[in-house]
Amino acid sequence: MPDRRTNEGPAMAARAPGEWRLPAPYGWRAALAALLIGLALIWSAQRVEIDRMLRLTGEAALAQVGLQQESQVGRGLGRMFGALFPFAIEDRQEVARLPGLDRDALPRFTRIEAIETTRYEMNSDTLQAEPVVERKEYLVHPFGYLLKVLDKMVETFEIAVWATIIAVILSVPLAILGARNYTPHPALYAASRSLVSFLRSMPELIIAMFLVLGYGFGSIAGYLALGLHGAGFLGKFYAEDIESADRKPQEALTALGAGKLRVLRAAVLPQVAPAYVAYTLYILDRNVRMAAVIGLVGAGGIGQELKGRYDLFEYGHVGTILLAIFLTVFALDQVSARLRARLIG
Amino acid sequence: MARAAPARSGGEARPHLSFARLVRRFPDGVRALDDVSFDVPNGEFCVVLGRSGSGKTTLLRSVNGLTELDGGTVRLGETAMSRSTLRDIRRRVAMVHQSFDLVERASVAANVLSGGVAEAPAWRVMLGWYPADLRARACGVLHRVGLDEIHLPRRASALSGGQQQRVGIARALLLDPEVILADEPVASLDPAISREILTLLRDVARERGATVLCSLHQTDLARDFADRIVGMRHGRVVFDGPPARFDAAAEAALYGSADTQARPAPRLIEDRIYA
Repeated sequence: MPDRRTNEGPAMAARAPGEWRLPAPYGWRAALAALLIGLALIWSAQRVEIDRMLRLTGEAALAQVGLQQESQVGRGLGRMFGALFPFAIEDRQEVARLPGLDRDALPRFTRIEAIETTRYEMNSDTLQAEPVVERKEYLVHPFGYLLKVLDKMVETFEIAVWATIIAVILSVPLAILGARNYTPHPALYAASRSLVSFLRSMPELIIAMFLVLGYGFGSIAGYLALGLHGAGFLGKFYAEDIESADRKPQEALTALGAGKLRVLRAAVLPQVAPAYVAYTLYILDRNVRMAAVIGLVGAGGIGQELKGRYDLFEYGHVGTILLAIFLTVFALDQVSARLRARLIG
Repeated sequence: MARAAPARSGGEARPHLSFARLVRRFPDGVRALDDVSFDVPNGEFCVVLGRSGSGKTTLLRSVNGLTELDGGTVRLGETAMSRSTLRDIRRRVAMVHQSFDLVERASVAANVLSGGVAEAPAWRVMLGWYPADLRARACGVLHRVGLDEIHLPRRASALSGGQQQRVGIARALLLDPEVILADEPVASLDPAISREILTLLRDVARERGATVLCSLHQTDLARDFADRIVGMRHGRVVFDGPPARFDAAAEAALYGSADTQARPAPRLIEDRIYA
């Protein structure tokens, strides 16, 4: 009602612009809060060694431009990064360890490479070190490791997809029970909401560690862990969207004799569908990234391969794996952005 | 369509809807309905007229149980409204809403079909694949309210206000209701469209022999469309009769000067806001 203000004359005495009081941009309370937060951060900075972090980073930067001999951080990371290249592409196996190998019919793309190494061995008769030539034969697949990483990456993606499916299946009933306006009973509402919070609060890495104890190494623990954690997210988001959906069409269908489930399907689902698609794609996206991580505790996928190679100091292989993860996440980003735009549009 | 309601065959004199001593109190003590009693005969177009806050909407919502009463009985034919008859009554009574209350993102077709979810099997509702006869009826009612095949896939939000209310009426007609409750059906439409919509509502109700209880706040529309006007003020019925008897005196009694004493209160609040 802006026109109302014009005839508010008597309520506010007219004053010269020089005497007008501008509202303060913030009050003393906000200033005090900022001060307290600042003090808390200073205290915390010492506990988390911010100063040491800055010093080490600075040293590394100085070492890079040649102003300093070397730095601890540069040494550690430099050795690692140097070893990542070149990326390991080929796969080689010792022929001696492949008893069933038929030399006349090698697997496709493979060849046999002989490598001679010279070793010095003490001759017990002459007491002199003598060269001994050792000949080892390897079966080499020129891009065998790349194929293996691709296979592991596909497995990782499968884990992520199944984890997402499990998360959706678990969270739909949890969301209905956990939506204040659709729950059959307040006790079920409370139970559903607490279960969802619990699932969300358990890091997937920890869930995976426990599940590996029960299901053994492999992808089962992986997708179950990601699915349970994802249900913690989706259950909350789905429920909140049900609660905040426009009530009027729901009431209109209730007035026409529809029961709760039918109202949910016909009046709520069309409203929440775009947000649900966005949440679910986000969880899929997140699951692909996390599926690469939970392999570290033996829950299948590319993470398990990564952990194995890292522990064997085979950094060339680690480099290939990291590149594969990056490319997959990047591609998924593009695809899901497009999918979201099409489905929500 | 075969009708379960015995009331319809029972002649004009028998009330189709009957309100007996309805009372609805708000927690702050205000009575939205204060001893409201009247009957609506079969097939009548009955307009409930009054200012906003006079209890019109509460009265309409008491018919299909969207508002619970603190006292009194609503009867639809022989059936008294209660918890156990609620479902049955809701299937026989349809409602048309002031702000249309469509699912805006859903298509026109889905919106009209959603009027039939109470009758369709659950699995079909879940899949969104409604039975053929319901789909055929949806097309029929959409055609009747003046929409075309090209409107079927459009989102409800893409239609004009008048067209949205047509969809709302089509949704209400889908299950062939015996009573249509229209809660300020034209309050958010311009005058010309309002007349079109009320004409449509009156005609479709006549064709089907449905009883209409329609709340309005415009006296000219009430005079032109009503078979009978029930005037409400402060939750009480202050006028009940044919439009011919709704003269200037009756209008003054309904909207009149006694209400001006209610005005200073909001003024005071505004003064405080802008002070």
